[in-house]
Amino acid sequence: MTHLAESPMGTATTPPTTTLALRAPAPKARRRTSSSPGDRPSVGIYIMIVIAIAIFGIPFIWIVLTALATPQQLNDGVSGLLDLSSPVWSNFIDAVTKVDYLSYGANSLFLSIMTAVLTTFSSATVGFAFARLRAPGKNALFLLVVSTMMIPAMATLIPTYVLFARLGLVGTYWPWVLWGLAGAPFFIFLFRQFFSAVPRELEDAAIMDGAGWIRSYFLVFLPLARPALLTVFLLSFTGAWGDYLAPALLLNMDNTTLAVATTSMYADPRGNPLVPLQSAGAIIYMLPVIIVFLFGQRYFMSSAMGSSVKG
Amino acid sequence: MSTLAAAAAATNVAAAGAARTRGWRRYRARTFYLFASPWIAGFVLLTLTPVVYALIVSFTNYDGASAKWRFIGIRNYVELFTASPAVWESMMRTVAYTAVVVPLSVAGGLFLALLVNERIRARGVVRAIFFVPSVVPIVATAIMWRLIFSKDAGLLNGIVQVFGGQKVTWLADPYVIYALIVMSLWGLGGGMIISLAALQDVPQELTEAARLDGAGRLRVLRSVVVPLISPVLYFQVITGIIATLQMLVQPMLLAESSGKLSSAMVPESTTLFMVHVYNEFFYNNRFGYGSAMLWVFFVVILLFTVIMQRVSRRVVFYQNDVEDREDEK
Repeated sequence: MTHLAESPMGTATTPPTTTLALRAPAPKARRRTSSSPGDRPSVGIYIMIVIAIAIFGIPFIWIVLTALATPQQLNDGVSGLLDLSSPVWSNFIDAVTKVDYLSYGANSLFLSIMTAVLTTFSSATVGFAFARLRAPGKNALFLLVVSTMMIPAMATLIPTYVLFARLGLVGTYWPWVLWGLAGAPFFIFLFRQFFSAVPRELEDAAIMDGAGWIRSYFLVFLPLARPALLTVFLLSFTGAWGDYLAPALLLNMDNTTLAVATTSMYADPRGNPLVPLQSAGAIIYMLPVIIVFLFGQRYFMSSAMGSSVKG
Repeated sequence: MSTLAAAAAATNVAAAGAARTRGWRRYRARTFYLFASPWIAGFVLLTLTPVVYALIVSFTNYDGASAKWRFIGIRNYVELFTASPAVWESMMRTVAYTAVVVPLSVAGGLFLALLVNERIRARGVVRAIFFVPSVVPIVATAIMWRLIFSKDAGLLNGIVQVFGGQKVTWLADPYVIYALIVMSLWGLGGGMIISLAALQDVPQELTEAARLDGAGRLRVLRSVVVPLISPVLYFQVITGIIATLQMLVQPMLLAESSGKLSSAMVPESTTLFMVHVYNEFFYNNRFGYGSAMLWVFFVVILLFTVIMQRVSRRVVFYQNDVEDREDEK
């Protein structure tokens, strides 16, 4: 029984690992992330990656094909969509002109930026308090913060809607202002970790130089937290941008966001869905989020996703 | 400069009188509550109040509109537990769905993480392709998968027909649940990123030592890697379960309709618990009954969380330990 047969990738091309491991360790100080320093990935691994890429990529390809199709091509089904002879680029223009796309986009943009600014600043402030200040009841409160991460947010939204309806806040952006001001447990948790890692000397220095907590927070800690602030801003921005249920429940058709508009607005006067236009609209709608994450991928991975769970 | 100031700080703190220290402490505590007040107020107003309000409403026959509502005691709860098999069906459906989707997505995420942790070509691009679906807004995700599963122009039926099969109405019972599962699993790249970050923290010495001892790849994975990253996998399982139990929007958006929020058109096999709750609230206008369902759900989640916390205490490392050490200074 050799290790070859046990390879999780199910291939027999991996070279014997013992000899490889006996080879001198790589001269570079940087730690490699591969399972074994000398291993080159086998053909089997590449085959699996190609299959996976196909599975994960096909929906994107398909929506682009649909967005470029004529209604006739759509009616012809798969063969029609795969006929690339006459892509209808004007679908993208129609998608933003036939419905009031720019106005919904402006709503989305305003709502997302406002929420993100408030959430980021508020979460940072609360996170700072939990990381750097001491007070009776603090540990109990922090336990509460961690617990609220577990509370089903979706389930609290419905009673929140009922309550806001009674308070006359439905149809306004006030709920988002309130949510933003309150901060978000997960981001509070992130900032708490970030601020905990700041050396104590820095804080002592600021305090001894005569700054109070508030000034040292604004002048010392907040500027230091720029990477965390940016990460949380982008995460909460894309969160608000992609949110569907809250705007669907709480806003009217004239001040709602792209998420709702993209779902429901693309129909002809008789109510039949305009699928190619909707696809084009959806592509434009999701592009900002994809771009943000593509450019920030490495960054998000190290600063947000990783550290948050690795503890 | 900071060392000097720190030294000065140490002397000053040591020299400070007890009274001054007390004043300092009070100032610090006041500042804490000032800084934490947005969250405290938010918790009271935006979490506690709605939940308590739902509890009160759950004992009434409130319909969401009319002013004439009255307390009806526990009648909603009695109906829910005894007279309504639909509640339990949707609950069991949700549990079954969770039991399928969460293990598959955590295992799939780990599998992808292992793949892209290899020294393959264009690793960054491959990672991005796997990761991006998990950040695509849910509305766009649902539109994409509806196109794939569409009866007439869908890719899947195109493939089925190539192999000589008949067109299938994927987005209706009984197949729509599979469509929902596929759509959910498409987003497992988020878990992949988390697993990947954990994999990169696994000390290479350990895996190398295991290999020297003659362990194959699978054995190294099972006996070294998985135990080392188990806190992160566990984290994904917990958050995955909680997120999946409350799934609501995905089934609604996947259902073939173009109107606004028509949960009533969700096929039966994807009427998960929260969809059912949503129906009671906004389709049947039974706010009281819906609130009772929500409260049962809260209690279930709460019990689950408490049990999991007990189990996890050994596995999951929260930052509290670090703070305790810091407080002792």
